[in-house]
Amino acid sequence: MNEQWRLLQTGFNTAFSNMAIDKAILVANSEGKVPPTVRFYGWCPPAISIGYFQSLTDEVNILACKKFGIDYVRRITGGGAVFHERELTYSIVIPESHPEIPKNIMKSYGRICGAVMKGLRYLGIESEYVPINDIVASGRKISGNAQTRKIATVLQHGTVLMDVDVDKMFSLLKVPNEKIKDKLIADVKQRVTSMKHLLGKKINFEEVASVMKKGFEEEFQVELIEEQLSKEELALAKKFEKECFSTKEWNYRR
Amino acid sequence: MRSQSVYKVPQGKLLKISIEYNKKNNTIKNIWITGDFFAYPEESIELMEKKLRNTVLEQKQLLEKIRSIITEYHIQFVGVNAEGLTKGILMCTL
Repeated sequence: MNEQWRLLQTGFNTAFSNMAIDKAILVANSEGKVPPTVRFYGWCPPAISIGYFQSLTDEVNILACKKFGIDYVRRITGGGAVFHERELTYSIVIPESHPEIPKNIMKSYGRICGAVMKGLRYLGIESEYVPINDIVASGRKISGNAQTRKIATVLQHGTVLMDVDVDKMFSLLKVPNEKIKDKLIADVKQRVTSMKHLLGKKINFEEVASVMKKGFEEEFQVELIEEQLSKEELALAKKFEKECFSTKEWNYRR
Repeated sequence: MRSQSVYKVPQGKLLKISIEYNKKNNTIKNIWITGDFFAYPEESIELMEKKLRNTVLEQKQLLEKIRSIITEYHIQFVGVNAEGLTKGILMCTL
């Protein structure tokens, strides 16, 4: 019989709550209190997440975010700034020692991205993993991913774009060189794609979640059992949200 | 002096470094290493910033120092390496 992992469908939450929940699962799993866990979620209001090493004020146009009601949050994972709006975000939390997870960090990115790629295939979208942390379809990026390893546990989260508005994204992000902003936007439009673009029609969150569930089950030969966050995880998430992810100290620390 | 650089590491990520340095003896006073790269464990970047204080802004010494910090604290970088960090730091002084 296939191993059983936990599936969490936590719906749409604020950026602070979303990042706090991922960290709470990481801690609970590292203490052996919950099984390996796959989670699907969205962002309400839409939000920008920045990588752990990025400078918030270098990357994010704070005034524009405030004006449009967009949240911003620093992740515990590295990587770049992401505008989360029409997408499914996944996270997977699993012990570093689990036999399905390669010890080598780059190999483990590829393995977890394999689950997303299998999910996309159920929609008729062929894609490939492009190191370091992208998945591309028809030569364009459809998914960005970021992994951390803490307390002997792997957390990888990533986006799968359902639709993308590059102009809106760049109204919220800063660019290193204002003079070439128009060219940069044109380049990114060429390099990024979405399910809507590839399929020629809109797709809803539930459909994407259902194919991604199959993708993870197939890649890791497991059965995903839908459950809820434990009471302890909920309490931890509340604490991390309040003490870390919603604070200026955390978000402006670099 | 305070100065910044933006450096795209070949086959890697975008490194944005800012330094405060002592022009008289050409050493780092303070450094902030930011960008869209990955480092494991993440907290090692703060350690790296601390350890680089008072390092001379010279290619060989800087590269050696960075390499020794990486080895000593078992830091694993993805999307950037010791050479890239050295180059990004020295670009601040141009």
